[in-house]
Amino acid sequence: MIDRLLEAARDRVDNADALWRREEQTTVAFESGRLKAAGISEEAGINLRLLANGRMGVAGTTAAKPDPKELVERARASAELGETVELAFPGAAAASQPAIPTFFDHTANASLAELIRMGRLLVERLSRPDCQINVAVEREVADTEVGNTAGARGEYRATGIAVTADVTRIAGDDVLMIYDQYIGADVPTDADLEALVHSVETRLTAALTVVAPPEGALPVVFTPAGLAAVILPLEQALSGKTVLQGSSPLAGKIGEALFDERLSIEDDPLRPGRPASRPVDDECVPSRCTALVERGMVGRFVYDLETAARAKTESTGNGRRGVFGKPHIGYTNIVFRMANGGRHHPMAPASELGGGLIADIDDGLIVDDLIGVGQGNVISGAFSHPVGLAYRVQHGEITGRVKDAAVAGNAYDLLKRIGGFGADGRWLGARWSPSLLLEGVSVARR
Amino acid sequence: MKDRLAESLKQSRADYTEIRVERTWSSAVAFRGRRLETATVSEDQGGFVRVLNKGCGWGIASFTSLDELPGMVRRAGELSRALRLDAPIRLADVAPQTADAVLDLDGDVRGIPLSEKKKLLDRYNAAMLAVSNAIVDTQASYRDEVSEVWYVNSEGASLYQLRPEVVVSGTAIGRRDGDIEKGLESIGLRKGWNSVQNFDDRFRVVAQRAVDLLDAPRVRGGAYPVILDNELAGVFIHEAFGHLSEADFVYENPQAREMMTLGRRFGKPVLNVGDNGAAAGLRGTLPYDDEGTPTQDTPLIKEGILVGRLHSRETAAKLGERPTGNARAISFRHPPIVRMTNTYIAPGKQGVGFDDLIGAVKLGVYACGAFGGQTMLENFSFTAGWGHMIRDGKVAELVKDVVLAGNLFQTLDRIDHIAGDFTWNQMGGGCGKGGQFPLPVTEGAPHVRIEEALIGGDV
Repeated sequence: MIDRLLEAARDRVDNADALWRREEQTTVAFESGRLKAAGISEEAGINLRLLANGRMGVAGTTAAKPDPKELVERARASAELGETVELAFPGAAAASQPAIPTFFDHTANASLAELIRMGRLLVERLSRPDCQINVAVEREVADTEVGNTAGARGEYRATGIAVTADVTRIAGDDVLMIYDQYIGADVPTDADLEALVHSVETRLTAALTVVAPPEGALPVVFTPAGLAAVILPLEQALSGKTVLQGSSPLAGKIGEALFDERLSIEDDPLRPGRPASRPVDDECVPSRCTALVERGMVGRFVYDLETAARAKTESTGNGRRGVFGKPHIGYTNIVFRMANGGRHHPMAPASELGGGLIADIDDGLIVDDLIGVGQGNVISGAFSHPVGLAYRVQHGEITGRVKDAAVAGNAYDLLKRIGGFGADGRWLGARWSPSLLLEGVSVARR
Repeated sequence: MKDRLAESLKQSRADYTEIRVERTWSSAVAFRGRRLETATVSEDQGGFVRVLNKGCGWGIASFTSLDELPGMVRRAGELSRALRLDAPIRLADVAPQTADAVLDLDGDVRGIPLSEKKKLLDRYNAAMLAVSNAIVDTQASYRDEVSEVWYVNSEGASLYQLRPEVVVSGTAIGRRDGDIEKGLESIGLRKGWNSVQNFDDRFRVVAQRAVDLLDAPRVRGGAYPVILDNELAGVFIHEAFGHLSEADFVYENPQAREMMTLGRRFGKPVLNVGDNGAAAGLRGTLPYDDEGTPTQDTPLIKEGILVGRLHSRETAAKLGERPTGNARAISFRHPPIVRMTNTYIAPGKQGVGFDDLIGAVKLGVYACGAFGGQTMLENFSFTAGWGHMIRDGKVAELVKDVVLAGNLFQTLDRIDHIAGDFTWNQMGGGCGKGGQFPLPVTEGAPHVRIEEALIGGDV
């Protein structure tokens, strides 16, 4: 598909790259415990980027039979207005593409009945008289072709499956919503689904008692879900884009020990079994691991081809592109690595709420969800949010759910000294992390 | 096109079938700092089919290749029949409409050269950068579209809509030493090229605000009388109440329905709230929703009492109420779900102004602009763009990091004073729900006073 397009482009421009992707999805949805809807979606599109007279332009189409000449012309018109950039596309022999299993037959061939069975199992396991259960199972098969006029080509098929469950319990004016998901490239095992059930049940049971929140600068365990507010500033600051633009607080700080020395974070597109894994990125740059934070030190920033060219460095294989618009930087799998985890009770089961980190907490919180994450001045690291789902810990035990509390802090300050890493490391979407115990988090009663 | 769709409808063997086809021409220009990020023209098209059979579930199909339409109608039918339900899905009656709704393109953006659009945005972006050396980064974006939507269903509805949209926005990042502050402006209009020519001042103001915030103190967290500006009051009612009034929250959930019982008191008699999909010329306006139901002005709170909800045909049937024209899908890639259109707090008494709201306030916060908001049912949070302290009845110093959060029921009940200075907030961005983001919506409000609310800031 892209060969014809690149051929049409070749004579008229300096160089070009293109991505073609076809995605098929099958979804089944259970609402209030009953199967309500089943759907399919099929979409194919192509994105072309080219350089003409050193200027970059882009065009895309979802037309069923795209006209290569028309697309090239549109991209050239875009390039006329574009900025000059010395973009170097990876060549055919640039680097060997790692062989990563991204396509799983079982998932691709799972029947509607099988998807329904998975959803029904969750509905039945989570069913409670006072709760409303919604479950969705979505299976995706994607074909990708990417290449450029320097001769590089990449082609792969990928499968993905997402199983989501949300449980809503309303008693008077009190609303409790607990949510979890399984996401993988291959179908979940029954054990995976049981883990999902357990995660929801544990948080639901612990939330049935409501207690007053504490106040002050306290130890807070952020569960893998609750960590979003603390991680988002880092994700923004570690992007080569914000570094280039001058808005990243981490610019110029590579090698500086800004975080707890036991903390390492990497971007890893080579993980088997993950939907975000791929042999090449969307610019045909071969995939590799990038150490974002290495033993507490700022490691590398992530780049796509254009940002790398402007920053006079190399792409890290983090190019992502859709059908419309130009390629941009995107993370793949973000993986936490801990050295000498410490502080979690050796006997605590990995599935315990709090990841085994609460034994030594005299008065503090477990935070599983905050409201409003992503709003405000995120890149500065400062966050202040009311709790969506949080629990009070007193004398090493969870005493109940807290409702009227707000949690605040600065991610860069809090991650300087991590109190402990939980035993509950898990995938949540494309991030693998355990719970983290952070000290001195501001908790205010509302 | 209508004939082609009617033909596919005829082929369907389902009890109810609807088909929606969209074709959208759009262009986009974006600057980041001094550099153009992209200038591009796109064409997107696709179809959506939804089918219902008696005693069965919904069968849904979406696709980009229109040649697939007949096959997709068939597959949707099969999917529907694969789901046997004990309790049938019913749809409230809607008289099938036949209409062409063609909006004035207001300077057809398809005829304006991309270079002109780049020049315009360059001007706005430069206006931000010129304000101060402290502005280290900007984002400016322009996006326009002309979209056509065809909708037919097996009950005889046949609708065509042609509508334009323009969205212009700017973010300015100010930096001094390690401190980073942000100003944001966003304008979204159901209009064309003619309406986006005079935003220079607005972009200057945005950058100036980022600079001013660098020097401003953080608001001291605490409970205060809070006055919301028009923009923030609109975001507040959308986030804190609008989502609760979407009937798909309550229609299958008896406890939720109890919480949202019509007749329940939600606020003082001064409070009136509604959602008006038929309000002329707004971005969230549409003559018919994506099930072919005519839109309307739906009262939600009248003099403090809950009087209405927002419905799709399915939620209306379930609750024995009438459809309100609030079933919307963000594109052919999605099914319609209950969404807001143009949601508002109605103006208070004419002649009551902002000064009347702050006159009696010894110490309070005037919270302005909205970076965004999120609701988690009874709890909400949103971040104001900036704020001012109110001291002894007067607007005082600029403050930052003003986060307003709380319990919906308490906060609505504490609205005690509403000004008469209503405006619609014509902002870009949009609403997110069920993976459908950003859906064009509008909010409107006057200045609103909450007698006491919690402002999180320095905790």
